[in-house]
Amino acid sequence: MTEERDAATWLQLMLVAFVANGIGPFGLKILTELGLATTYQAQYLLYWYLGGFVFAAAALWRSGLRPRGSEIRLGALMGGCSLLGQSFTGLALANGMPGHVVFPITTGGSLFLVAAAGLLLFKEKVGPYGLAGMVLGIAALVGLSLG
Amino acid sequence: MLLGLLSFGMLGILHKLADVKKGRPPAINALLAVSSLVMVFGFVLFGTVGGPVVPRVVALVAIPFGISASVAILAFQAGVKHGHIATSWLAINLSAGIPTVASILIYDEPVGTAKALALALIPVSMFLLWQDKKQQERRS
Repeated sequence: MTEERDAATWLQLMLVAFVANGIGPFGLKILTELGLATTYQAQYLLYWYLGGFVFAAAALWRSGLRPRGSEIRLGALMGGCSLLGQSFTGLALANGMPGHVVFPITTGGSLFLVAAAGLLLFKEKVGPYGLAGMVLGIAALVGLSLG
Repeated sequence: MLLGLLSFGMLGILHKLADVKKGRPPAINALLAVSSLVMVFGFVLFGTVGGPVVPRVVALVAIPFGISASVAILAFQAGVKHGHIATSWLAINLSAGIPTVASILIYDEPVGTAKALALALIPVSMFLLWQDKKQQERRS
């Protein structure tokens, strides 16, 4: 067992990411229930990203690292992709595309795209359990969007 | 919609690329956060009527949930080092079940058959992904 490929560490980190990522969007639901989402959605996102930035800056400061050029470029690109993904999805919904069409396609499609890139571009090898997990996982996400 | 799909897909691929290029998770997370913040700030400043001034409750709700999302990105970027992007990206996306469950429990949202079945599939899928990871470890 190497440090780079550790199943227990992977599971622990993925569970943290799973729970934290799941909690992340719930604030918007609270805002909706308070009747403030329509008026302050963009501003909500600003403070949401501000909270994320404060934590990320603290984590970077604590690590004592100085960002390299490649990290700056990749981080900026990732931030752009995150924001564009949200914006384009929002635009599709605002232009009358129903949610039960938009969410399964964007979620399922992006999962398929990343899985294909992992397998073809990065030559990752996924076994039968992994393939079954991926099929069931994509089905679950499409089901959630439709339900 | 297609552009949304491509943007989210590119985000997943860039997480893997950052790992391949030996990007360090705290640095990647911080740069992702600062670039998103700058872009949203520009939009709020020039693209909205009210600007960044909001009722206190909006900021009080937004900030802790933003922190949670940032924790997720940091853990995910660190986790990609130990697994495949094909399965890790799915694992983090399956978290869509959490706000759904929270809405059911807190706001009494109705649960249809499709939603209940989808929620039941999430732990099964996670278990299978973990089994795959363990199998890879035994092979290597």
